[in-house]
Amino acid sequence: MANMTRRNFLSICAAAGSLALVACGGSGTGSDTTTSSSSAEASAAALTTVVAGKLTCIANMYFPPFESMDESTGEPQGFDIDLGKALAEHLKLECNWLPSQQFDTLVPTIKAGGTADISITGMTINDARKQEIDFSDPYIDSNQALVLKKGSTETEASLNDASKKVAVQAGTTGEERVRENLPNATCVPLDEVISCMTSVSTGNNDALVIDLPVAANLISNSFGDLEVAQEIATGEQYGIAVSKENPELLAAINAALAEMESDGTMDELEVKWFGTKL
Amino acid sequence: MHFAHTNVRGRAFVALVLSCLGLIAVLAATPAQALTTNKATARPNQEGGNGVVGGIDTRLTWEGTVGDDEQIEAITLELPQGSSFAGSTTRVTVLDGLTRIPIEGQASDTDERLVVNFDNPVPAGSLLRLEVEGMRFAEAGGDCAVTGTYTASGSQHELDSSDSITVIEGTWLQRAVAVLDANPAVEAWNSNQFLGMFFKPQLILTSLFSLFPGWLVCLVIVICAYPFAITLGLIFALMKISNNVVLRAIAVVYINLLRGTPLFLQIYIMFFGLPMLGINIDNNILGVAVMAINSSAYLAEIFRAGIESIPQGQYEAAASLGMGRLQTMFNIILPQTIRRVIPTVTSDFITSYKDTSLLSSVGVMELMMFAKNATSVSGNITPYVTAAIFYLIVTLPLIKVVGIIEKRMARSERGSGPRPKLTQPTVTTEDAEQVEGAQSVLPNDSTDAGVLMAQAVRAAVGGDING
Amino acid sequence: MARKRGQTLQVKVPAPLDANEAAQRAFEHDRPLTTHNFVEGEHPIVRIEHLNKTFDGTTQVLRDINLTVWPAEVVCVLGPSGSGKSTMLRCINLLETPTAGHILIEDQPITGLAKAEVNKLRQNLGMVFQSFNLFPHLTALGNVMIGQTKVLGKSKEEAEAEARKQLEAVGLADRADFKPAQLSGGQQQRVAIARAVAMHPDVLLFDEPTSALDPELVRGVLDVMRDLAKNSGMTMIVVTHEMGFAREVADRVVFMEDGVVVEQGVPAQVFDNPKNQRTAEFLGDIQ
Repeated sequence: MANMTRRNFLSICAAAGSLALVACGGSGTGSDTTTSSSSAEASAAALTTVVAGKLTCIANMYFPPFESMDESTGEPQGFDIDLGKALAEHLKLECNWLPSQQFDTLVPTIKAGGTADISITGMTINDARKQEIDFSDPYIDSNQALVLKKGSTETEASLNDASKKVAVQAGTTGEERVRENLPNATCVPLDEVISCMTSVSTGNNDALVIDLPVAANLISNSFGDLEVAQEIATGEQYGIAVSKENPELLAAINAALAEMESDGTMDELEVKWFGTKL
Repeated sequence: MHFAHTNVRGRAFVALVLSCLGLIAVLAATPAQALTTNKATARPNQEGGNGVVGGIDTRLTWEGTVGDDEQIEAITLELPQGSSFAGSTTRVTVLDGLTRIPIEGQASDTDERLVVNFDNPVPAGSLLRLEVEGMRFAEAGGDCAVTGTYTASGSQHELDSSDSITVIEGTWLQRAVAVLDANPAVEAWNSNQFLGMFFKPQLILTSLFSLFPGWLVCLVIVICAYPFAITLGLIFALMKISNNVVLRAIAVVYINLLRGTPLFLQIYIMFFGLPMLGINIDNNILGVAVMAINSSAYLAEIFRAGIESIPQGQYEAAASLGMGRLQTMFNIILPQTIRRVIPTVTSDFITSYKDTSLLSSVGVMELMMFAKNATSVSGNITPYVTAAIFYLIVTLPLIKVVGIIEKRMARSERGSGPRPKLTQPTVTTEDAEQVEGAQSVLPNDSTDAGVLMAQAVRAAVGGDING
Repeated sequence: MARKRGQTLQVKVPAPLDANEAAQRAFEHDRPLTTHNFVEGEHPIVRIEHLNKTFDGTTQVLRDINLTVWPAEVVCVLGPSGSGKSTMLRCINLLETPTAGHILIEDQPITGLAKAEVNKLRQNLGMVFQSFNLFPHLTALGNVMIGQTKVLGKSKEEAEAEARKQLEAVGLADRADFKPAQLSGGQQQRVAIARAVAMHPDVLLFDEPTSALDPELVRGVLDVMRDLAKNSGMTMIVVTHEMGFAREVADRVVFMEDGVVVEQGVPAQVFDNPKNQRTAEFLGDIQ
């Protein structure tokens, strides 16, 4: 209880109050409520979060199947979303997903603190980002894909030419990949992966380099005129971004991730969103 | 494969044959080549460019393929003299196809040499990638090929040399950043989370240079767009006040559609809509077009309001001289309108200039785009602050100019302010003016009697004619 | 024609007369009423025949106006505010469109002219406004030049020479480079007169040229107008409240009230011995 904040203390008081009320009322369903709330409070008291009792998550919501928004309800959905919910459950916190934010603003948001506790957004662990924030243990492996219009004969080698334009999502490892490996081509960083796909589809850009699972998902669902021309083996790993100020939360998340790995939760999620265990 | 990376296209066949011969020669010399070098690249770390600069941190990526019947226990990478692995961190990735094999490595570094010992042997047929973050190439630059050795089954072999990486000589900018890095005051400053996040001195310095091309793009776009915007705006303003119902309707629809929708949406429609109609235009030109069209709607309203603010008497005075509608518009009304709208137009110019930032969302390489990239690479907000500086460099003086023009206009409407010199220097007193006025009032064809009469009249009424 | 104030007059707008017939009648009627010295065989320069003007279809401001002006004649139009003097003047150069009736300038009917012909017509009809209406973006010189260069197609040099001559004539040669805002009201009005005269129109129309001026500035403008009247040989129609000016300068004085020409005649007669009761009342109020 050493790092208990005033807000946590107050909520515990409130919980104690409600416990007393329930005890007085002698309601039949009271026992269920009280046990769950008291255990959640105990856990929340151990972990400092932006909103006490809640695990506030943030992501760029245009990265299916990791995160996207349900077309009819606008609710966030995807592998990362479910992962966040499962994590929250393990940490005995309530999961709260904030509205979508630009990908490049996520690391600064986590670093600045006060908005979100964690960002689960298909973010590849790399050292530049590690200087600003902490990453959890990797939760999934990924690779890159070279996406072309169907029938295009371009290759990575032929794209490395001043006349070629290659779209990427700004701030992604795909962008790094293009800048490092295709220095002669014009790298066109766009905000969202949908814009990238559209720009290749319309012929505005010649190719796109983006995370393979995302490319595969989008091509099979909405961009039938594109194809993954080349799978680029990068073996990169996604991690959950946590503020460097909150090592307790990071440790708790790593523990939860290990637990979910062993109890089969991860496998379930993978099957749900990728159709197979990875 | 060596030849897969050959850039020679015209003589591809010859190159292929030669490469095959070369490969055969290599294979003949070292038949048990178990680890083939695929490539070695370095992350571009040049401010505002794609080059690899020596003397400052970058990331070296080395990739190789393990032979069919070998396992790799350790690998040593070597760089030419002057390069340094000191203080670097190494990430090991082993892939079987697209699947990751969990193998870690212990890296120990000396200046030009990096030794990685694997906890488990890297299996046959797998892809091995080493990403060495925080290493530096020699400050003098030059072509750097990665060489080295690897240990398979307890024995050491030479690695193929990689294609060389072109390294640019380090500049004063990098050295300045290094000085800042070493400065304890800077470190203390950066340790404050707010200051370090928004005003990191190293990033301000480097992003001033890296954002500069984006700033130029912003300026060029808005400066190219504005003449078109003014012309279009004038045309639509004139259409809106014309007597022709059709012209008026077109202008009203055009102006209201553009003013009533966000610029962001217009950008998306132009950038994604036009290509779908089979119209492919260069991004920058398209950016100019969008800014011009958007601005023209606002300018049309500004011009219309300006034209309508000119009093009816001006039209009547022009008409009484026998001027036609167009002559009146271009000689009398528009020159006055332009004076009146200069402050509002300048404000709109400022808005347009700032609005070019929205073009970054569709991949126009303008200021915000550079700032966004710099931020997403560094995870630090400072490049946005630098971008703000670049915006202010232009907007603050313009805001000042608007203020000066407005003040001057207010003064000239009151009739105060500097007066031109009198055309005839001798005329200064009322009397002098009267006498002269009396003599000159008469048209040339007047009679002497008329002159006398006029003088008599003047003498009779006397007093001040000058007001 | 005599009636009391406030009495409504039901005027049926008459069918326009045949132009020649109307001219003949007006010719016979108006001739003796002016001090103007006629030239044998000349025709009236402005003929207004049964002019009616209604605003918004309801407010009738001009009722059956008939007026004939001879070349080189100076006509002053007097009357209380709202009597339709200015509207009549503005009808002559078509700044207002007549509702009914004829206006003939140099025997040419001007109602129903095409736009280009209207512009041509206005070159011949200089106008001086109550509120000067100088072009504020041009200097005094520029104001006097612009009509000459843009409408008459004169060269810049020619126009400038003419403009300087006219500015000198109104006593403002030294103010050629001043902007209107830097000139007093009286000076502005004199520039406006120079601007009109520089076009060498056949007729000069003055619409209450001194009404917007401070009293001490009126005299300078009137001096200029008097000089024009006595020496330029230009036809002038002056709507004014300056009784002294009218009495001294006019060949003929026209008194209007409620959109009707109530009385007209030589100044001495109208001022000293008005036939009409309203004229007498008005002049009595003023003097």
